[in-house]
Amino acid sequence: MEEKEIMIRLTGIKKSFPQKKGSLEVLHGIDLDIEKGEIFGIIGLSGAGKSTLVRCINLLERPTEGQVYLDGQELTCLSEKDLRQARRSMGMIFQQFHLLMQRTALENVCFPMEIAGVKKADARKRAKELLELVGLGDRTESYPSQLSGGQKQRVAIARALATDPKILLCDEATSALDPNTTAGVLELLKDINKRLGITIVVITHEMKVIQEICNRVAIISEGKIAEMGSVENIFRNPRTKIGQELVFHEGAKREAYVGELPYCYRVVFEGGISNEPVLGRMMIDCNGVVNILSGNTRNIDQQVFGQMILQFPEEKELREKMIKYLTDRGVEVEEVDYV
Amino acid sequence: MFNSDMISLVGVAFWESIYMTVISSLFAYVIGLPLGLILVATDKDGIAPAPLFNQILGIIINILRSIPFLILLVAMMPFTQAIVGTVIGAKATVVVLVVAAAPFIARLVESSLKEVDRGVVEAAQSMGASPFEIMTKVLLPEAKPSLLVGSAIAMTTILGYSAMAGFCGGGGLGAVAINYGYYRSQRDVMLVMVVLLVVIVQVLQEVGMRISRGSDKRL
Repeated sequence: MEEKEIMIRLTGIKKSFPQKKGSLEVLHGIDLDIEKGEIFGIIGLSGAGKSTLVRCINLLERPTEGQVYLDGQELTCLSEKDLRQARRSMGMIFQQFHLLMQRTALENVCFPMEIAGVKKADARKRAKELLELVGLGDRTESYPSQLSGGQKQRVAIARALATDPKILLCDEATSALDPNTTAGVLELLKDINKRLGITIVVITHEMKVIQEICNRVAIISEGKIAEMGSVENIFRNPRTKIGQELVFHEGAKREAYVGELPYCYRVVFEGGISNEPVLGRMMIDCNGVVNILSGNTRNIDQQVFGQMILQFPEEKELREKMIKYLTDRGVEVEEVDYV
Repeated sequence: MFNSDMISLVGVAFWESIYMTVISSLFAYVIGLPLGLILVATDKDGIAPAPLFNQILGIIINILRSIPFLILLVAMMPFTQAIVGTVIGAKATVVVLVVAAAPFIARLVESSLKEVDRGVVEAAQSMGASPFEIMTKVLLPEAKPSLLVGSAIAMTTILGYSAMAGFCGGGGLGAVAINYGYYRSQRDVMLVMVVLLVVIVQVLQEVGMRISRGSDKRL
């Protein structure tokens, strides 16, 4: 990657909502730098505050405290009018697409340009190009009700790109879509990021989405950043409980083991190793067996990762020998605390 | 019972009713539509929140709506006299109809606009749309089918009010029904007037629904 420039900087973001009694603080001070040209993921369970956080970036929600900078310009101090201007350089897409139901796909894409005062003929020409870009060149005259979920999201993406934004905010953009459609939309986002160099912020509760397209990720829990780093590192070695929960989620159901199985370890095979029968050799060489509780492989940024949850033998000597055998061969082994 | 005089009288009354309804609806929308927009925009979750103003406006609208039409008709006589120079006939009735219908229309418009998905409004805000642009380019066009249904309801209600005005010197079918049917006990005349009113209501309602359905791109 080239010189790291900061596109979005959040400093000390706090947000509370007034309640009947007192107020509810949703974000407790978030500091975050998102680099130019990267795809940054924000993941968390529902209610963690991630949707509020992304709305704080384009100030759909005004943070109670803290500053937001876009490409060096402070947004939090702008007047309503200047803010509206600044929002044209921030595209946003939503879980429920939020298209104008009484306008055709083409007219939907024209909408932000109408607001920006682009000439009608120019807007229509640009909208056609954008719909081509998202693969809907033949559906320009369709109304949203005539399009599938994936197609609607593509129209929404084209609309978000209409004013040549610097960043694209995606709020659970694939959560309402089936797996195949999700893959297509993610592929499109990746492609847009590469082709147009737009910084993309992805909000999701699915680790899969993060693995698929993000370079870096922040894990949000209870209104704070629990953990942040490259997707590879977080996946390989999630340090916090919430991080582990999100990474293991699909492979292992925590509840199933609670208090029942001792000596459980998570092992992660990386790249080339996953093609070798390391585990089988270990069992032969160490003359002992392990119990496989779950396992899967994932593709992160063109790299293959395999992860397994194993139960090692009770005998301490044998167990340590096995773990050493694995770590010597570049396999990461980490005790999993299920209780 | 129906000689040629009577028929021409009914004909005139028919057109008077149509005239009162259409003209009153137009003027009532000129006032009620912006009021409805303001109600929605200034709501505490609206695009230009002003909760106190919103509440005051709401109370005023409720007060106007709770005054019975006939009382409003009488109470407004000096005002009506000042505006159109008379307190009887179709023209005078129009003034009262506008005042009576505008707050009702404001509420109809409000409820139609509230059907527009909050998320679509948020999307427009995220693109940098101003509150005015959101009203004219998002709320009104998106709520169009519902607004059209509302306008059919409004027109039928206004037609009903216009017939009531017949009691106090208003014109139209209502006046004929009262003057001949009630004061002169010509029940058959009254019946014919009622049938004509029913037909007009049916036509207005049906046409309104059809236009609404035809304009709705969600179907």
